[in-house]
Order: sequence, then C-alpha cells, then structure tokens
Amino acid sequence: MKKSAGRRVAIVGIGQTKFRARIPEKTYYELAFDSVREAVLDAEIAPKDIESVVYGIYNDLLERQVMPDTYVHDYLGMHGKSGTRVTTGGATGGYAFRAAYAEVASGLSDIALLVGVEKAQDCFDWAQFKTTPEVLKSIAYSADMTWEFPIGAYAASSYALLATAHMKKYGTTEEQAALVSVKNHANAFNNPYAQSPMKLKVDDVMSSRMISYPFKMYDCSLYTEGASALVLMSEEKARQLKAKDPVWVLGVGSSNDKSFTGFRSSEDSLGEYGDIADLRNHYVAAKLAYRMAGIERPNREIDVAELHDAFSFTELQAYEAMGFAEPGRGGQFIQDGVPEMDGDLPVSPSGGLLGAGHAVGATGVMQVGEIARQLRGKAGKRQVEVRNGVGLAHSIGGPGSSYATVTILGV
Amino acid sequence: MVKSATESARETVRREVRSDPLEAQIDAILEQQLKKRRRGVLVRTGNYFEIPDKLVMFYKYSYGMQSKFFKELKERKKLLGSMCRKCGRVYFPPRASCSECYTGTVWKEVSNGGVVLSSTTSWYTTSEFFHKVPYAIGYVKPLNADTAILQKIELDGGEFVEPGTKVVAKFRRVRKGMVSDFWYEEIK
Repeated sequence: MKKSAGRRVAIVGIGQTKFRARIPEKTYYELAFDSVREAVLDAEIAPKDIESVVYGIYNDLLERQVMPDTYVHDYLGMHGKSGTRVTTGGATGGYAFRAAYAEVASGLSDIALLVGVEKAQDCFDWAQFKTTPEVLKSIAYSADMTWEFPIGAYAASSYALLATAHMKKYGTTEEQAALVSVKNHANAFNNPYAQSPMKLKVDDVMSSRMISYPFKMYDCSLYTEGASALVLMSEEKARQLKAKDPVWVLGVGSSNDKSFTGFRSSEDSLGEYGDIADLRNHYVAAKLAYRMAGIERPNREIDVAELHDAFSFTELQAYEAMGFAEPGRGGQFIQDGVPEMDGDLPVSPSGGLLGAGHAVGATGVMQVGEIARQLRGKAGKRQVEVRNGVGLAHSIGGPGSSYATVTILGV
Repeated sequence: MVKSATESARETVRREVRSDPLEAQIDAILEQQLKKRRRGVLVRTGNYFEIPDKLVMFYKYSYGMQSKFFKELKERKKLLGSMCRKCGRVYFPPRASCSECYTGTVWKEVSNGGVVLSSTTSWYTTSEFFHKVPYAIGYVKPLNADTAILQKIELDGGEFVEPGTKVVAKFRRVRKGMVSDFWYEEIK
C-alpha cells in the first residue's frame, strides 16, 4: 500500500561542481552558484522559473557564517522566493532532498531548487599549522556538549563504536570493511567530479595509519569542498514544459534514532532492528521508502545504489539496513562481489564518500544526482546496467548514525 | 531638562568597565604563531587572497535539571542515575523525565561497576584532544542501569578494550563538576 497521496515529482536538472579537498578560489556562495547554473541549464528553465529553494548546508563553523543560506539565496538572485535551510549532519543533503520533494509533492511549488554546499576546509589549527584537527573540532561540536564532547568523542570515534559492536556481534572483519574502501576508491576513477580516485589493495587499507580503531585512514572519507544542485518539478509542469529525461521520485523515507547511542537497546521500541551494532533507524527509513515505492524485494528490484560510506564499515552496515543482505551478513555481501561495478547490485559507482569526497551538505544531493544520472543512462564511463529502472540513494548523519534518509528514484 | 539618548549613552559608557576583549588575546597568540613559522599573514596563491581568522564564543551555562548529578559527582564522588516513576527504567546519564512514559523520574545512585558494550581507541582526533592520543572511549552500562554512558576507559598499556570487559569508575582528585571528572578502568 503506497503511503504518498502527494503529487508525482520529477528530477529534471542536475548540477555539480568538482569535489576537491579545498577550493580557495571560490566562496561557498560562488560554489553554490556554479552548481545551480549547471542544474538550471540541464533543466532548460530560467532561474526566474524557480519558485522555492531548499538549502543543504551542514555546519555554521565550517562556513564561518551563521545563516549561510540567506547569502546563497541572495547570490542566486532568488530574492522574493521561499528559501529554507536543512541541517542534519552528514544526512543534510538527503534530508534537504526530502524537504524539496515535499515542497513540490505538497503543491506549494511547481518548480523547486535544491542546493547543497559546504566549504569544509577553511578551519585551521594555528598551533599544529594543520587543517584537519580543526575541521574535526568543528564537527565534534555536534557531539553532546555536556556528556560526550568533553571526553574526546568526535565523528570517527562515534561511528567506530558502532563498528566494534558489529564486529563483536556478527564477527565482521577489518578486511571485509577494507574491500569497501578498495571498491569505492577505484570507482572514483570513472567520475570526473571525484576527489580521491585511488588504486588500493586490502593490505594498503590495513596498513594505513590508525585513526580510531577499527578505522584506518583509508576507511575514512575525506572532508571536501563543493556544491551540488537539483531542479525538481511537478508532473504536470514537467509534461507542460516537455522536460527531457525526467527521473521520478518513487519513495522517500527517513528516521532518526537516539543520539545518545548508549540508550539504544534491543528492549526499546526499535529493538526489533537490533542495538548499537545495527543501523536501526536506517532499517526504518528503508522500509518507509520501499513501502511508498511499492518495492518488496530490494536486492532484486534495485539496479544501483549510492550508500553513505563516510566510513567503510558503515557501508557494510548499510547493506544490511537497506535489505540487500541479511543482518550481520554485510561483510559477506561484499566478499561475494555483489556491490562491485560488475556485480548484481553495484553500490556507489560515483566512488561514494570515500572516493568522490564528502562535501557534507552537498554529499546527499550529489548521491541523488548520481542515481538520476545512472537512470538516465548518462553516467559516462561509470554507467551501470539499468534493468528495472530503479535506484536508491542513502544518507547517514549525526552521532552514531542517528539521522537516516533513503530516496528511491525511477524511470 | 530631559537628557538626550546620546547623553544617556555617554554616561553609561563612562560607568562601564573598560577592558580589552578576550578575543584580543587570541589575536596576539595567532600573531605569535605566524611569526614563529616565519610566514606572512597573507597567503597568496594564484588568483585568491586569504587571511587568518577565528570565531570565539564564551559561555556560562546551567546543567538545568541535571545539576544534581554534577554536584554529587564533584562533591561526593557519587554517580547518580534516574529511575522512571512509572516504568522503572534506570537512565544513566540521568534525565528528569522518562522519554518513553513522559513521567518524572527519581534520583537513583548507580553502581561504580559496569560492563563495556562497545569501545574504540582514538589515535587521531580534534585539535583540542590531540595531545592525549591514544585514548579509549566506550559505552559503559552500570550494573544496575538500563542505559550506557559514553566515557573514557583507561587503556592500561593495551591498545583496545574488548566489549564485555568489566570496569569500575575512578574519580579525579580535583573535580570541576564535569563528565570528565570520572573515567572507567578494567577490574583485574
């Protein structure tokens, strides 16, 4: 039974800047502008046709600006139109997509613009004369400031705690997780927008510098600067304007788990999906999206997926939550080669966050855009075989993956 | 004669304590760092121009209804959880209301002993904690609580604390009333 009673919504325009470690020659609003110009050209509309804008921008400290969306809105010439910002950690792009979808499905707008942007690497630690520790600090302020930040928790350790629990509960190994890193860094070679194409072997990942056990350097995505934009249109408008290559939104689902990860237990209301070891809310988000899209056997019906591999282990856990693999069998799923480019269900042909980069607010928008490109059959060298015309994009964010969104697209 | 608004403002300014903003001290530190590195303030590469900057905020904040936990921790080395009046669930860290029943809770001391549910050892971290690596943190569930707290776990020469390890709380000699006033150690 489909839950949505809203209007059908299509993605009709895709735009993206290259993802790079640092883009000092552009400000965040200049980056946003570049991606929007490309999306608007692709949609064959004029900027004035846009009725509302949703912004995915994660972190004010990264941008060095409170309310950065309002300056992007001005720079894009969107004065007079509705503008809303979504900020939900690593899931910012995924959740911003949900908001933009709702904008059109509800009938509030016929044409909505979604822009994700992040200027992630202007933070600078003047004591160490290095960027990364200060970038990590700005993100670590997302840990609870009373209970968790003061003991030295930060993004990698927050997700490592889920990984060690998964290893203990299911026997998942570091070598299995390393396969995700090898796959995604290799996939990035075929993506001209990607930050980190690399030819790695499992041994390279295993011997790379320890970050927060069990995560080594090559298990972790890098922070990235860049922007990504999509133009969304109602079915009626898309038909009226004869939009080329529309990609339809079939399902959206999202769910948040307890941000105090230690409060999750198999005894609570999400207990049927497991405990700290399992991405419980991601099971829920997938279930909601599948119900809306009418998908019953995801690993048979979905042609291609972009999962949120901020850390390699997280992709293994996501295979399970998305229903691609049985709970606890995520490691075996990649050992069997299923998510490889030539496997039955290619995952993250863009290179994912590990290979393409993690420009936080732009990441989820990029992933939805990547699935739309794949379904249009216009993903260039990284094009996968499209059989059923269905793809999935997934976003994770927050302490211990507390934010989850799943988007299903179709042609 | 009625005073003008600017006259009132001038009087107030005269009465206010004048001091250099604390930010100025941070500017001085930045300048020292730059001199030490013998690099200019301005970095020019290609067609862009960049300068050093900072965002600094100072606070004093209240623990609200959690205050008693921190007071007891600081003054009596006691770990307080809270128990729901209705379902009996014991929260640690404590909360004043049960999130399931929407009922108030009562304070309940939790045991110093607990079990590690999950842990990680950090070898790379944020600028604020860089000098402390490697350090382990993990979710520890006190024996008589239903939830676990994220806390530091002493590595004691090892590299990793296995889930399932039995631990006990230890307290700093000088306590500030912060969560970092205590940590856990393996029971040998």
